[in-house]
Amino acid sequence: MSPTLATNLRNIVAVARREFVWRGRTRTFRLTTALLVLTGVGLALAPVIIRFIDRDSTGNRVEVAVGDSTPGVDVPLAFSLLLNAPAAGIPDGSDSTPDYRIESTDDVVGARARVVDGTSSALVVMSRSAGEDLEFTLYSKDPAISRQTQLIRQAASSIAIQDRLSRAGIPPVDQASLFAPPTFTLEPADPNATALVPDSGEAFASSVAISFALSILLFMAIILYGQWVAFSVAEEKNSRVMEVVLAAATPFQLLSGKVVGVGGLALAQYVIVLVPSVVAVLLQDRIAAFVLGGTSAAELPQGLSVPLLLVFGLMFVLGFALYAVLYAGAASLVSRQEDVNQIVAPLTIISVGGYLVASYAGTGLIPIDSPLVVVMSFIPFFSPYLMLTRMGLGVVSPLEVTAAILLLVAFIPVALWFAARLYRSGVLLYGQAPTPRTLLRALRNG
Amino acid sequence: MSLVLENLTKRFGPVVALDGISFTVERGQVFGFLGANGAGKTTAMRIILDILRPDSGTATWDGTPTTDVPRRTWGYLPEERGLYPRLEVLEQLVFFASLYAIPRKVAADRAREWLARFRIPEYEKRRAEELSKGNQQKVQLIAAILHEPDVLIMDEPFVGLDPVNVSLLKEAFGEMRRRGTTLVFSTHQMEMVEELCEAVVLIDRGRLVLGGSIRDVKRASGRRVVRLGVEGDSALPWLADLEGVSVVRPGEDYTELDVRGRDPQDILRAAIDRGERVTQFLIADPSIEQVFIEYVGRAPSEDHHLAEAPR
Repeated sequence: MSPTLATNLRNIVAVARREFVWRGRTRTFRLTTALLVLTGVGLALAPVIIRFIDRDSTGNRVEVAVGDSTPGVDVPLAFSLLLNAPAAGIPDGSDSTPDYRIESTDDVVGARARVVDGTSSALVVMSRSAGEDLEFTLYSKDPAISRQTQLIRQAASSIAIQDRLSRAGIPPVDQASLFAPPTFTLEPADPNATALVPDSGEAFASSVAISFALSILLFMAIILYGQWVAFSVAEEKNSRVMEVVLAAATPFQLLSGKVVGVGGLALAQYVIVLVPSVVAVLLQDRIAAFVLGGTSAAELPQGLSVPLLLVFGLMFVLGFALYAVLYAGAASLVSRQEDVNQIVAPLTIISVGGYLVASYAGTGLIPIDSPLVVVMSFIPFFSPYLMLTRMGLGVVSPLEVTAAILLLVAFIPVALWFAARLYRSGVLLYGQAPTPRTLLRALRNG
Repeated sequence: MSLVLENLTKRFGPVVALDGISFTVERGQVFGFLGANGAGKTTAMRIILDILRPDSGTATWDGTPTTDVPRRTWGYLPEERGLYPRLEVLEQLVFFASLYAIPRKVAADRAREWLARFRIPEYEKRRAEELSKGNQQKVQLIAAILHEPDVLIMDEPFVGLDPVNVSLLKEAFGEMRRRGTTLVFSTHQMEMVEELCEAVVLIDRGRLVLGGSIRDVKRASGRRVVRLGVEGDSALPWLADLEGVSVVRPGEDYTELDVRGRDPQDILRAAIDRGERVTQFLIADPSIEQVFIEYVGRAPSEDHHLAEAPR
């Protein structure tokens, strides 16, 4: 007769309660939570904050010296239009302030000096070559690959083309419409494909960013909170409380209780940090309207859906449980807290592997439908990361997601059994080296 | 109603910690568990508590394997103090009790009662790390008995305690015994064994050397101790002629003799025959310490002294 279900539950709850209450009461926990809330809200409001700081700036000054090149174009106007055109795919804030301010100048020497001292950000000097083409010289402190240099180069090409057109006798047209970008649509090659390519570049960028963000959040949670569990085990071993507790409860009860308690606290911290951050994101436009004037409506970032958030929640809980159980088992083998990181390193590497493949797949470095990604998205250690990424990019059926979750759920008891074995054999041995060999030996003896 | 260990064997790699140990502890007994450091005492205790599993053999309580006995049957005081260093005393006690299904309120009341009895009620709100070693030991003992176990198992309970705390602990033992608790403890301090235990086992390097009631153990060797005091010169050179008699401790007041294989009366007769005027004659069993030395080959306290310096 092993312990009854009631005894198991009672002790798991008692251990979990202790972990939750005592750890939650520590000053470290409260401080980090407060800091994380501040960081989260700060990040969420970063665009508003940046715009607030920038609200009085009049943009970068670019001086243009036309000289005697006599172009067939209104050069300052053309530069202003071209440099301040909204870039495709990059959402532009309110636009009361243009990024660039164009001024004509005749004083090339003075203007160069102004670029040097930073009052102007660039000087464009124009001339006309013997072959009658416009020539541009840019004086700037930025490197050739900088965004500003690229923009000015593009603008210069456009102005040169227009100049050639007018010299060829084509009458100048309305400059604004001349430089307007064409309609450009991206469609999937396969006529039966559904949402492989999101309907706009902006939405695609947003899904990538979101699946990337969710992987990072999951990865951080597993590493950080998994280590809480590992440290808690090592601490009990170090203070020799372990022996007292083990006389009262089984390794299974202790491990489960610890994971539930720390996991509960982790979830609580997560919610405490995420709720204000999400609210800040949702209210961003209203806050912006309030601080900066103007009006805007709130909306969820594109690509973030309720099912995705639900699966994220589930994967968070299950992925954490799997890793935390094994972290605890491994940590029971060492007796000093400084050895904890070393003994759990193999697990951390596995976790990092899953995270890296997920972020490569998310950003397109590995095709999202490659066999590697698909197979890994079902393997319990990796599925939390990869299923989430596949789901965020919309290339997975609900059946596959369910299968991955069920596999993960089925694997957790196996991990628990495995960890309890490690724990029973390791927990009363002191002075072991924190190496993988210790792990293997403990498994054999357990 | 008894705790029965049968043929317990446990190895750790190349080390044989227990090599076929069997003994019985009767319910309500105060039972001493003797042996030098590393003899296997702690391992046997951990097996009873199901912290360790034996390689072979069984441990039963009332016929039920100890792995299946509810854990609240046992109270355990390990040799190393094991308290959460940064936790308040009362909270730890309530937590440990909660693992044995004792409601918080009941646990807190009992904990306060015991803290008061151990004369440390003011430490209720202190963190364990702020307490002295002796007081931590008291808290540890309270943690082991709050759930009122049937059997209290203690590994070296007297180590590191000052005489005041030793007598407090002994009184607590008495109290537990009156309540019908079976007490099993290991110790190096043989005078504690003589004073408290009804039965003992002596183990050495994983093997059972001797076991039974104190009286049986003392007599098992067939040795008696005789104290002989005479008027005048106490050198007593004639003792050397008596076979089976050796001087344990010579002295002015009296001489202590170890007698084996012959009647102690022979010594009295020999003394009178030689014209000595006998002022003291006492026949006693050897001390547990002497039995220990005889069977283990060294004193139980030997580990507490420096070895001889290398030449």
